Amino acid sequence: MKVEFRAKMIPSQLWRLVAAIALLAIPLAAHHSFGAEYDANKPITLTGVVTKIEWTNPHSYFYLDVKDEKGTVANWKFEGYGPGVLYRTGWKRGISMKPGDTITVTGWRARDGTNWGHSRQVTLASGEKLFFGPPAGTGDGGSVPPVEVK
Amino acid sequence: MMGRVLAVVVALTLSLPAQNATRDKNKASTKGSVPRTPDGKPDLTGVWQSGSTVKGSWEEANSGTGIGGTGKNPSAPAILSASDRPAAAERAPYQPWAAQKVLESYKNRGIDDPAAECLPPGVPRTSVLGLFPTQIIETPKQIVILYEYMHEYRIIPLNAKHPDDLSPTYMGDSVGRWEGDTLVVDVTGFNEKTWLVGTGTFHTDALHVTERYTRVDKDQINYDITIEDPNVLTKPWVIHTNLMLRDGTRLQEYVCAENNLAPAFYERMQKNGINFQRP
Repeated sequence: MKVEFRAKMIPSQLWRLVAAIALLAIPLAAHHSFGAEYDANKPITLTGVVTKIEWTNPHSYFYLDVKDEKGTVANWKFEGYGPGVLYRTGWKRGISMKPGDTITVTGWRARDGTNWGHSRQVTLASGEKLFFGPPAGTGDGGSVPPVEVK
Repeated sequence: MMGRVLAVVVALTLSLPAQNATRDKNKASTKGSVPRTPDGKPDLTGVWQSGSTVKGSWEEANSGTGIGGTGKNPSAPAILSASDRPAAAERAPYQPWAAQKVLESYKNRGIDDPAAECLPPGVPRTSVLGLFPTQIIETPKQIVILYEYMHEYRIIPLNAKHPDDLSPTYMGDSVGRWEGDTLVVDVTGFNEKTWLVGTGTFHTDALHVTERYTRVDKDQINYDITIEDPNVLTKPWVIHTNLMLRDGTRLQEYVCAENNLAPAFYERMQKNGINFQRP
């Protein structure tokens, strides 16, 4: 559990940090296990062109054409919150992100090594940053088991 | 889907304007800062978020946390999930054999989670989620609780007895009563297909849950849960949490079966021998 401190943290950011710490105890419903599907030790940041968005429950997905240094294009799939949570997180369906937009996504790679990832933060074509999915570790039981280990 | 509200919420909401008007007229009779119904009971009606202690709208209370609003740091904060033990709760007092079974699920990162199959999460698991709002509608004779997560609902008759012919269900059978200013809800009649709170927290059909809802001011309900199951626990498991009012939040549609890829993903990984277990 890391909270990043910045040298020039302004009061409103401090308030957010305090609020964030206060909220650490909130049990969040992840529909399924992050840790089973994704590797928290494999963070990934990719920039590409959005090709498709699926606003579906229990999870939404978007697809991204990513070009490597040789110019080869690969299509990546990223998972995130369902539409209801995205709406409350500030996403505007059909407006915030559209096919053809160039965006940057930060997340974690799937354990199966395919071009599949869990998305956390998306930097939209407008420059706005929104969360598309929860932090690493959500839904797989956390760092402490619910019973004593003997 | 944006803007769509559960049909049942619409129906119930449309039936309430007269009650709301009465409630507004009776604001003068509010004792302290706890809103009350015309018959003097604390009024629990509203849309709530569980587990938070922050006042304000959904956006105000969740901004920057990754639950809602925008954030700058994708690595922080690492918020506990419904598969985690709430930080304020004691660890579950399982009997040794049962604790081993819970740990097995934990080691397997909860791939046996019934919710990953889109099955109802049960009580109290559905009630302690922070990511999805809960709507409470209070009437003199019954309390209705609507959960966005998994489209679940509970109808809680007041001063009633559990039916004699209960069939086991995911959400159990709830009856309520007022003890002073606290709504006490007795829940029984569960099947064995849900988890309590946290990864692997299984139970038997002997499960008995007692919930206490106490609205302490305009913004907050103290929510205290006692979980009993003598077949797997050594003593009652008591959890204290709360619900915060989120005025202006509307429940959204949540159709879990729409595009549920998790079970196939788990199956594929196991078939291909991809290691995902905790060390």
